[in-house]
Amino acid sequence: MDHAVTTNPLIIMVINMTVVFFVLVALMGLINLIHIVDPTREKEPELSDEATESAENAAIIAKLKESASEPVQIEEGVSPEVIAAISAAISAYGISGQVKAVRVINRNGWRRNALDNGIVQV
Amino acid sequence: MEFINAFSVSLQAVWNDSGFSAFTVGNGIMILVGLILIYMAFVKEFEPLLLGPIAFGCILANFPNTGFFGEEMNVMKAINYGISNEIFPPLIFLGIGAMTDFSPLLARPSTLLLGAAAQIGVFVALGGAMIVGFDIHEAAAIGIIGGADGPTSIYLSTKLAPHLLGAIAVAAYSYMSLVPLIQPPIMKLMTTQAEREIVMTELRTVTKFERVVFPIVATIFISLLLPPIAALLGCLMLGNLFRESGVTDRLSDTAQNSLCNIVTIFLGTGTGMTMNAHDFLRPDTILIIVLGLVAFIGGTAGGVIFGKIMCKATGGAINPLIGSAGVSAVPMAARVSQLVGMRAKPGNYLLMHAMGPNVAGVIGTAVAAGTMLAMLK
Repeated sequence: MDHAVTTNPLIIMVINMTVVFFVLVALMGLINLIHIVDPTREKEPELSDEATESAENAAIIAKLKESASEPVQIEEGVSPEVIAAISAAISAYGISGQVKAVRVINRNGWRRNALDNGIVQV
Repeated sequence: MEFINAFSVSLQAVWNDSGFSAFTVGNGIMILVGLILIYMAFVKEFEPLLLGPIAFGCILANFPNTGFFGEEMNVMKAINYGISNEIFPPLIFLGIGAMTDFSPLLARPSTLLLGAAAQIGVFVALGGAMIVGFDIHEAAAIGIIGGADGPTSIYLSTKLAPHLLGAIAVAAYSYMSLVPLIQPPIMKLMTTQAEREIVMTELRTVTKFERVVFPIVATIFISLLLPPIAALLGCLMLGNLFRESGVTDRLSDTAQNSLCNIVTIFLGTGTGMTMNAHDFLRPDTILIIVLGLVAFIGGTAGGVIFGKIMCKATGGAINPLIGSAGVSAVPMAARVSQLVGMRAKPGNYLLMHAMGPNVAGVIGTAVAAGTMLAMLK
């Protein structure tokens, strides 16, 4: 292990960062390529194309989505079993009370967070 | 009289063979260090899965006359063999691969750049280590602490600076456990309130085809380019393939549970066993701890700065907070991004967006290690 190309820290830093960026940019290209050649890929909905156009559009779309998901009254379709399960889960956290309404949120954060909890520290 | 003589000689022999006769102040200090680490691991819950075995290994390593590293084979020597011959880190990566979901990365590949940018900490620490007097191999091994990737740190240390393994492993795992304390102040310092409040758009759905093909393609590409890390990356991607294929559930389950847990015990204990007084109680250890912190701060800052650049370049579509997750430490660093983002704007879920740079950081750190191995061997 005594055949180091250079011992200049700055040169080593520049070379290494260049290589790291090169490899990861190439990997980025490969990921995009996989996406393009994916035979199982469905045509992306028009909404997501618009969403990527600008942050302003994204904010508007998010606002529209939020307003679209108004609270749903229990009487209008949510089964008593679902309400019982939700009530039990809330009670398990030590919170007493009665479920008044169920609101569907168009976000996957909680589900994803739960999935993510399965990943251990590297 | 004969009985007293025999008794005296026997007692003398027992004393001479005991650890007390050869016990040094250094051993005492290191056992104390081990006890402190045990307290941190089991009471404070700082990385208990790894810091616990490391701490106990540290205590075991400082008992004199145990013969752990003598001529005859024994369990401790066998464990040490797995560390010094780079067997355990790739096996840990197999488990990590089986636990990792690359979907956030595949959905937004540009986050790979954040994983690359966060590696700046590795090279800042490398430069710093050389400036304070470490040779190039030692400096590279110290710098990799900034990647916040324990197995890669151990892997590189055993190859470039095995005598520093104990200090590097302890620094790496200690700082990884301190990510929730170290990163938020840097993230807040480097971002504005408006930037922290940015809501990112939902990630696209990633197909099974993409999730299965990615580990295969990535292994072929990176292993051909950087053969020194083929074992690490290969195991990471093999574990991920077990997970994503959908037909190897038993292998995936074994890799992410039984195998990973067994190897974690061996890796932790074996790493702790390298922390004997002679190798650990040196001024270099303090320097390594300090340089590790510099590396961590540098990596976090590098990721956030690049996140800000991407934020500007995309017209505000990227929240710069996810940049700090590029330092690996899966999934702790991503959770910190989520936490800081939630504090700035309640209801803003950054977790899955931060998982992209987070897993990219794992690959980035391995690539950084491979580059240094290629340059320095």
